[in-house]
Amino acid sequence: MDTLIIDDDPMAVFLTTRLLHHEGQPTDVITSFVSPVEAVAFLQQQVLTNSLPHVVLLDLNMPLLSGWGVLEALKPLEASLLGRCVFYILTSSLALTDVARAQQYPLVAGFLHKPLDGIEIQVMQARLLETRP
Amino acid sequence: MPLKAASPIASLETRFRSLFEQTPTIILYQDENSTILDANPAFLALVEQPKEQVLNRQYDEFLPAEVQPLFKARLAEAFTGKIVRFEMHTTQGGAAPRYWDVIKLPLFEHEKVVGVHMVARDITERILAQQEVLAQNSDLQQFTYIVSHNLRAPLATALGLANLLGREEPGSPYFEKTRTHLQASLHQLDLVLRDMNTILSIRDQEKRAETEALPLAEVVQQVVQNLQEVVDQCGGTVRVDIPANLLVRANRAYLYSIFFNLLSNALKYRTDERPLVVTVTAKGGQDQLTRMTVADNGSGFDQEQAGDDVFKLYKRFHPHYPGRGLGLYLVKTHVESMNGHISVHSRVGEGTRFSIVIP
Repeated sequence: MDTLIIDDDPMAVFLTTRLLHHEGQPTDVITSFVSPVEAVAFLQQQVLTNSLPHVVLLDLNMPLLSGWGVLEALKPLEASLLGRCVFYILTSSLALTDVARAQQYPLVAGFLHKPLDGIEIQVMQARLLETRP
Repeated sequence: MPLKAASPIASLETRFRSLFEQTPTIILYQDENSTILDANPAFLALVEQPKEQVLNRQYDEFLPAEVQPLFKARLAEAFTGKIVRFEMHTTQGGAAPRYWDVIKLPLFEHEKVVGVHMVARDITERILAQQEVLAQNSDLQQFTYIVSHNLRAPLATALGLANLLGREEPGSPYFEKTRTHLQASLHQLDLVLRDMNTILSIRDQEKRAETEALPLAEVVQQVVQNLQEVVDQCGGTVRVDIPANLLVRANRAYLYSIFFNLLSNALKYRTDERPLVVTVTAKGGQDQLTRMTVADNGSGFDQEQAGDDVFKLYKRFHPHYPGRGLGLYLVKTHVESMNGHISVHSRVGEGTRFSIVIP
């Protein structure tokens, strides 16, 4: 499961990376960005080279460009991303408005509250297997 | 059956005269050219002039220039036969500015509008109360947001790390890193709690903070001195151009905090591309507005992207720098407690300029 982590907090990136490792993900397929702007540029590049990650874990509350900003910036690529790259919001926010807002983006497959746990990772892996046998 | 006693209703004229004379609402009767043909005692008391000096004058003469066109337009509208109602914040005569609920009522004679009554009720108290409730509501919303995002973020990280600790092998580098991160996230959690405490107590105290006439140059010099070491280390320069006799009515601690935060930001967000130069200027004072600027040639930020969030709590615009997004929020709170206004102009790669105006 090629995974891209977008989170401005390096500790959160470390935590998610280790959790993925403990769920059997080799660490060399995990990419992470603490700068959402750079993450968008990366995704735009990966679309061209057809080497998109399977899963993107996207934080919401980030300086300069929020998770929503990332999703907006990727709107023009939506058609080429859909079906190839699944986004999960991974946030510490408990605000219900955020959950509702996430549903407006077709790219977003799920809304996860931090901290991420092993079961949630296994569910993501299972869903990926279902869509890509 | 005995005849009913005639009810002691006074004549129409007496009744309406009494209403006109005694109501605290101001009433004017105007012709099409906005000439005041009649004014009630409430209006005379407001503008503090006797009736003979008010009658036959243009109502415009009692209004500040910026609202004159609006009143004129509304009067013309009433002369078309419509009842016109609007709210307005304005001075009248020499009186202090108030909020008014204004109604213009056309008076018909033979189906023609011959004059317009203006009835204006002072709604200042209500508007101020409304504004206070709105401000408190927005504070509450902001705090809900902080609890949901900024307080929970380090807590969620700590929770996750504590769980992870159970899965890492004790003594391994990952175990140690997890433990260090756990400590750091708990420390962050504590910082957010302390921030909330600071903010809440400031908002509480600010309303009754002691103010005095302070020599601005001296306060700014003090800030510069305390930051001198950092300025020297980065090879920067701080230029202060403030008249020695310029006094500012403020609370010393808050004034210090404003310049400390702005200068600290200039130092933090400097660019390696050129030596840092920060210029602090001020002019005005006495009966004029005091205008202060803090301008740097640092890295700047994307103002379009930042939008209205620059001064908001826990909003940050420099991804690769540490910081919690507290400084500018405090600066704005302090400036506003002095009834002042702060604005910012910034360009990526050129620098940032903060301008503060206080009465």
